[in-house]
Amino acid sequence: MTLDNLSVVLKQKGEIVLENREIREPQLGEAQINVKVTGICGSDVHYYVHGGIGSFLVKAPMILGHESAGIVSKLGPGTEASGLKVGDRVAIEPGVGCRMCEYCKGGRYNLCPEMKFAATPPVDGTLCNYYLHAADYCHKLPDTVSLEEGALIEPLSVAVHACGRAGVKPGDRVLVFGAGPVGLLCGAMAKASGARAVGIADIVESRLNFAKSYCNASTFVLPLTNKGEANIDYSRRQSELLRNALMSIPEHGGLGGLPDVVIDATGAETCVQMGMLVAKNGGVVVLVGMGSSLQQVPIAEASGREVDVRGIFRYCNTYPRAIELLASGAIDVKPLITHKYALDDSIAAFEHVRTGKDGAIKVQIVA
Amino acid sequence: MAGSYQIPSETTKNLAVQMKRANELGIVEYPLERPGKGECQVQVKCTGICGSDVHLWKDGRIGIFDAKKPIVLGHESMGVVTALGEGVTEFKVGDRVAIEPGIPCSECEQCMGGHYNLCPDVLFKSTPPYDGLLANYITHPARWLYKLPDSISDEEGALLEPLSVAIAALERVNARFGSSLLICGCGPIGLIVLAVAKAIGMGPIIITDVQESRLKWAKEMGATHAHLIEKGLTDVQVAEDIRRILGEAPEYSLECTGVDTSFRVAIMATRNGGTCCMVGVGKNDQLLPVNNFAMREVDIKGLFRYHHTWPKAIRLLDSGALNIKQLVTHKFEFKDALKAFEVASDYSQGSIKVQITN
Repeated sequence: MTLDNLSVVLKQKGEIVLENREIREPQLGEAQINVKVTGICGSDVHYYVHGGIGSFLVKAPMILGHESAGIVSKLGPGTEASGLKVGDRVAIEPGVGCRMCEYCKGGRYNLCPEMKFAATPPVDGTLCNYYLHAADYCHKLPDTVSLEEGALIEPLSVAVHACGRAGVKPGDRVLVFGAGPVGLLCGAMAKASGARAVGIADIVESRLNFAKSYCNASTFVLPLTNKGEANIDYSRRQSELLRNALMSIPEHGGLGGLPDVVIDATGAETCVQMGMLVAKNGGVVVLVGMGSSLQQVPIAEASGREVDVRGIFRYCNTYPRAIELLASGAIDVKPLITHKYALDDSIAAFEHVRTGKDGAIKVQIVA
Repeated sequence: MAGSYQIPSETTKNLAVQMKRANELGIVEYPLERPGKGECQVQVKCTGICGSDVHLWKDGRIGIFDAKKPIVLGHESMGVVTALGEGVTEFKVGDRVAIEPGIPCSECEQCMGGHYNLCPDVLFKSTPPYDGLLANYITHPARWLYKLPDSISDEEGALLEPLSVAIAALERVNARFGSSLLICGCGPIGLIVLAVAKAIGMGPIIITDVQESRLKWAKEMGATHAHLIEKGLTDVQVAEDIRRILGEAPEYSLECTGVDTSFRVAIMATRNGGTCCMVGVGKNDQLLPVNNFAMREVDIKGLFRYHHTWPKAIRLLDSGALNIKQLVTHKFEFKDALKAFEVASDYSQGSIKVQITN
């Protein structure tokens, strides 16, 4: 048994080490993937810094990483139906459902109570040389899509699912709160879904400058809250200004009307509130960002205008569509890759994402 | 069959029930109007009192609408056509009609898109600043009147408005037959929702309230479970109780009280991937368990009135699939309107729906 599988392990909160672990054989239905590229997500950093997210707690050492692409190195028995061959380049869909429960059978496997999701405790992640995964959750990449792009299909899937849940259709106006990688991908996906105008709002102007060109969006700078001001008061005040800005025509920096869809990619209570206040009558607010458990929301106003509020939990049935979006060029994720690190320098990569320095958008670890 | 009616003469006094200012109700003389083009004059025969009418009376406001001057109350009405305006051919004098109180513009994006309830220029009678229907005679566009079949009594005709709310609520969440449902609140709306949900084959259905006497109604109307909310429990505990009693997490929840703790409970009880709709009207800003519903993909919806419901409501009642007339617990004559409002606003009287007849 050779220990030739370099793995990035979160030993406990605040401590990442590189360990050589064994290369395991693929079991029934599994593919062994030689992982080549892995992106780092804010949630990975959150586990690193805080040791947990919500009720998911790191109780034992766990391999990090869930945004990966690689090359099929071995196939276990019973994988014929997946159509995979050794040597295939694949994007790894990290969350495997049980396939038996009502959610899996009903097509919403992201809600499976027995979900095994890479790098959500206690399931080991993909940041290693050789990773075993259900073959039907490994998606073949066309030759024109690189492994780096393949590793971005995971966060792109969040955007695909969010726009799907929102029902973005051709001609819609879409406003996104948050110009981080997820917000940017939501903006790009909204455009690819036929939105006639996309707007992105953030508190950091430099991020908005990138957003403007990346998804041809109208941008809106939000001021910080005043000291001692209740969030709901800030949101009511700011929404008035934002509504006027949104109503102006795109040539003047607006969307030409109030948004049919608002996507919040921040989790900030103010953004959730503003989303509910600026969406047009009959519109929808989709919550992608994760924030505090209890939030004050202007429910009477949203209710009185029939503005729906829907959250998302990861994604389902998105990988094939995401691959097609990349292959056709409808979405280009390459500009989001700002920094690369070798697997040996993974700790530095995590530190980079934690500090967000040098305008980092997506940092990838390449084997 | 025509209902009994009196065609007014030039000298007939027209009376209306008006909120003069907060907590002050009076019966006043009101202009007797001739119907304009496309309108009918209707002798209002029966009007139900809604919680919103009571709020308007007591507080001088309802939700985000502030009454800045005296206003006639009432929006749950039926009556008899007593005069026809120019161009009205679909009704004749003596026809019994139900009245849909909201008059949208019929031209804007919302109206043309089928959501006339969201018309920004809707004229909704009894929402400030527009006078309501609690008058002896009103005029109303014929377009928003519906002929009542003989099988529907006056009381039931006036129940078509809250029935419309119940139908709209179930449609809002795309309620499907064979699915489980949580209803919060055994007031008239919760109980009518229960009746419609059963009529469309939903089940099992659990309905909750804080008053045992109200739950009795729900039991009699065939709720699978009628659950008394225990005092002193946390929202999480109440949600767990609901799931345990129902035997599953409900796929749909309709919150019909407007109370924020109840809405939190409804959200937390709803199954992953389900839908929770706030039907009741409550505080403007509420503390909600956002992570809980977002990360379980429980969709949150609100409801604003209704659209395209009267014909369905009439058909449902006419078919005999619904039994809701027993919900009219108290009836008062027009001259006793103030007493009617007092009974409607006093829980100890045990009323469900109070109606004022003319």
